[in-house]
Amino acid sequence: MKYKLVHKTKYEYAQAVNNYHSLLCLMPRTLPNQSCRNFNIQITPQPSQIVERTDFYGNKTHYFSLHAPHKELTVLTTALVERNVEDMGALFMPSEISCAAARQRQLGDRSLKIALLEYILPSPMVKWGQDITAFASDCFQEDMPLYDCVINLCRKIYTEFDFVPDFTTVHTPIEEVLAAKKGVCQDFSHLAIACIRSFGFAARYVSGYLETLPPRGRPKLQGSDASHAWISVFIPDYGWCDFDPTNNVVPGERHIVTAWGRDYSDVPPLKGIIFSYGKHTLTVEVDVIPV
Amino acid sequence: MLTEAPVNLLQSYQSGLSSYDEVLDLRGNVKPHWNALFATLEKLGLDELKSRNQEIIGKLRENGVTYNVYGSPDGMNRPWQLDPIPFLIEQKEWNQIAKGLQQRAVLLDLMLKDLYGPQKLVRDGIIPAELVFDNTGFFRPCIDIKIPGSNQLTLFAADMARGPDGQMWIVDNRTQAPSGSGYTLENRVVMSKLLPELADGMYVSKLAPYFNSLQSTISRLADKSKDAPNIVYLTPGPSNEAYFEHAYLASYLGYTLAQGDDLLVRNGSVWLKSIDGLQKVDVILRRIDDDWCDPLELREDSRLGVPGLLQAIRMGNVQVLNAPGSSVLENHAFLAFMENISQYFLGEKLIMPSVATWWCGHRKELSYVLEHLDELIIKKGNRKTKFRSIYGRLLSFQEKEEVKRMLLKNPHEFIAQQEVSLSTTPSLINGNIEPRYAALRAFMVADENGYYVMQGGLTRSSPVKDRFVISNQYGGLSKDTWIVSNKTEEVQEKVSLPSPASVNKHVSLPSRSAENLFWVGRYCERTMAVIKFMNITINVLNLDRNFGGSAKQEHIKVLLQSVTHLSATYPGFLDEEVDHFRNPYQEIIDLISNTNRPGSIASNIGAFLNAVGAVRNQWDLETWRIVDLIDNGFHEIRNASSMNSNNIQKTLDGLFNNMFTFLGVIAESMPRDNSFLLLETGKLIERILSRISVIQSNFGVVNSQAVENELIEATLINHHSLVNYRQIYKSHLSVEAMLDMVLLEKALPYSLVYMLDELKSNLGKLPTTTRGDRLNEAERSVLKAVTAVKLANVAELSKTGRNSERHELFSLLSEVSRLISSVSISLTNMYFSHTIMHHSFFEPADYDTDEI
Repeated sequence: MKYKLVHKTKYEYAQAVNNYHSLLCLMPRTLPNQSCRNFNIQITPQPSQIVERTDFYGNKTHYFSLHAPHKELTVLTTALVERNVEDMGALFMPSEISCAAARQRQLGDRSLKIALLEYILPSPMVKWGQDITAFASDCFQEDMPLYDCVINLCRKIYTEFDFVPDFTTVHTPIEEVLAAKKGVCQDFSHLAIACIRSFGFAARYVSGYLETLPPRGRPKLQGSDASHAWISVFIPDYGWCDFDPTNNVVPGERHIVTAWGRDYSDVPPLKGIIFSYGKHTLTVEVDVIPV
Repeated sequence: MLTEAPVNLLQSYQSGLSSYDEVLDLRGNVKPHWNALFATLEKLGLDELKSRNQEIIGKLRENGVTYNVYGSPDGMNRPWQLDPIPFLIEQKEWNQIAKGLQQRAVLLDLMLKDLYGPQKLVRDGIIPAELVFDNTGFFRPCIDIKIPGSNQLTLFAADMARGPDGQMWIVDNRTQAPSGSGYTLENRVVMSKLLPELADGMYVSKLAPYFNSLQSTISRLADKSKDAPNIVYLTPGPSNEAYFEHAYLASYLGYTLAQGDDLLVRNGSVWLKSIDGLQKVDVILRRIDDDWCDPLELREDSRLGVPGLLQAIRMGNVQVLNAPGSSVLENHAFLAFMENISQYFLGEKLIMPSVATWWCGHRKELSYVLEHLDELIIKKGNRKTKFRSIYGRLLSFQEKEEVKRMLLKNPHEFIAQQEVSLSTTPSLINGNIEPRYAALRAFMVADENGYYVMQGGLTRSSPVKDRFVISNQYGGLSKDTWIVSNKTEEVQEKVSLPSPASVNKHVSLPSRSAENLFWVGRYCERTMAVIKFMNITINVLNLDRNFGGSAKQEHIKVLLQSVTHLSATYPGFLDEEVDHFRNPYQEIIDLISNTNRPGSIASNIGAFLNAVGAVRNQWDLETWRIVDLIDNGFHEIRNASSMNSNNIQKTLDGLFNNMFTFLGVIAESMPRDNSFLLLETGKLIERILSRISVIQSNFGVVNSQAVENELIEATLINHHSLVNYRQIYKSHLSVEAMLDMVLLEKALPYSLVYMLDELKSNLGKLPTTTRGDRLNEAERSVLKAVTAVKLANVAELSKTGRNSERHELFSLLSEVSRLISSVSISLTNMYFSHTIMHHSFFEPADYDTDEI
């Protein structure tokens, strides 16, 4: 499936901003099953330079800074992305390795342990206590396939939690999400990662986009798509396998991968340091248009 | 006839030893250089040593050598403590130690390159992966931060202690922003000044080569195309515990002292905001920790760092020492693997061992630790975890079980270390020489040939007996460390002051320092103005109380109200509700001593001392000595309520004189650069505003002749002009003659025209921000004010209008006051404007402290 990707972020400031430094993590990754062409960044006002860098996880980041007073900032990225993924669905199981066997494999193989360790340990935004382990305990059985356990976990989050925008912020701790049983894709992904890691398995955070389908018979609205987040779990004998706890699906061709890391803090799509007083408003429009 | 020899210091010291001591070698004989030192001490005598110790304490205080202690009851600054008895190490032994230190530095440098590079140590199983991925000092954005040249680790400090076998052990590594070298230098300077004869018959190696080596390493990293590279010493600011050292080293090395928001990244380069505009920075010697360096890519709540700094380093436009990311090496767990790492990288054994350390993440090590808890100290591998070390032998059975449970739950987070027994060393404690535990910090800097080891170091000894309290945060003594030899085998000289550092000629004044200097001038003058007029008023009050009658009290009321106007402590004596005039002393004492009341003398002095402290690298020793006296006066004045009025006035006089001296020392010694001009400008602005305020409130409204005579006299004293007036007008007092003098007499330094002319000339010398010879906003305001005053007709000004007001006088002075206040605002916009850093999500966090 081919998509034209358009992601527009606009900041409006009450007071003029004199200096601004920003780091973007918006460029879709190039993967065996995903290609990205014609990636373009358009920033208004125009910075003198945009610097591309490959980060620790192989994601592409872009740095720019602005030094003239401005009250409005727009970051517009566009790309042509092709996904070659069979929409597998939950019927296909890539590996039947049980939790017990998977754990054994991770312990025995040093290079595997090195590769996975940082996705097993707590990370800046994913820490857990007994509440988290208790929540997930009925999903994980030692003799069951690890894959099934993660599927169970995603289903549990999907059925027990409500998708409620604006209830959480990027800094809401997982415990609070767990207690309130509501949040957005980022919260559900962090929760799922915490659960999986608490049982000793490797899970990472995936940031990207999801093509949304309009209600039947209605035209698709501009800007109606969204940046999205899901998780990837390491399943021995198979490798990294994506799961989307927000939608209770195994991501397929409608999921576009931008970046991954231990959690959100490694891959925020857009972060910036402002030198100014005053408040700002933010609007984001995303379009994932099939071509 | 011979009397019994006085108690031999060495013998009595030896008799008090309970464990192995620096004075003795392994066979129990006194080491020769210690023998020599004790002989000198003997000659000097204990009493003399004690009195020199007092001088040292005084000198350190005067020099403002402090180590800030968070949460200490008596404010923030604790005087630095220096034991007059140095720590001696024989040159030959030191050469061996230096080899061990150099090997350690080389290893850490290789580790740093590997951990942020191929990670072969992990892949080949030399260290567990947890030491990288569970290491809070490992910063993923730093994988591509590289310093040009062969070494990544430029500065390194190692803490050492001597074990029972006489061998030195490495106890800890400092690899990101090592502290203590400045205190080491100051210790040496003070010792060589106040106890020069202690080194009689010995040759003590110099410290200066270490700093020279540091300077040449830094200049090698600087832009070769510039003959005067811009080098910045980056400090977290005056509230950091080692701020003294930052300011001291910055001025010793000749670098510009700056805080994070004095710097700005623009177009991939770092710039210093100075009053000459933006200046490109070539090298940053940092004293802020890794995670605080760049809020864009590291801790986003850091206000100490510079957003975009990492990117500027990556682009090669600035070098930062040590490179951000080097805190990865400070994880305690590495000590457990150093022997293997040495074999792996160098194929050598460690020359100097590390203290025995076990990482609990391995099953075998964990079970050893659980079985030997009594002999061990439990720590977390990660340094910044607010975890207090646990001494196994101090635990009850139950506590031990709890610790074991904690270890078993998260074994990879913990390490255990052998509780090192330290050597003792002679220390002057309560007038006696007693053995105290000591440890030594050594300093290294990468140079072209490898690592240069400072010939000396910072020794800390415990103030308490039989226990080692090493941290300066909790109190502790420091010692000068002497590397001694009998003769000058290698080229060495006797103890001497370090050679003057090669200077960074490209000195621009950071905007923040500029602003602080401006406020030093303003607060100093503001305090003096209030004290001066307060004293005048108290004198009049006393005269009236003791000798006068109640008939002519009206002038006292005017004077007291002028005090309120001058200090802007409304309502004060203008309060209609309270009858202050029956007993004005209560309000006066509050005005003097209440630190929480803006405008009071105490609060102004406090603000003055803060501003002075914030630019402490600007002052020389003479100035510090005066500041110290003012600080003493500040402490006295706060207790004014318990003093009688005579003592209050004495203290106020003392403060006034010391502040006058402060201005005098500055006038006589400060270079005539922008720093001086800004301080003078601040002083003049305040002086003009305060004099105007008094004239306005004394003469804005006409009073009876008798009252006005009193006010004229007070005003003339306030302008330092009474003597001059009497010479001209004898005892004839008239408002017109007085105004002529205090407003227009060009030869009087406190007359309005004189001060305005001075201000005008000062502003003309400051860096221009306008095109060509055009006047800037500030200059225009002063010119307007000067012109208005010079054109004024004193006879008109003295006249009374309706409602017995001197309308002309009042409106002229109001206008001048407004214009001069606007000068301050213009200067702020021109030179000081700081922009506030703002984050989308900001939660202020504690800055983790790096204890020395």
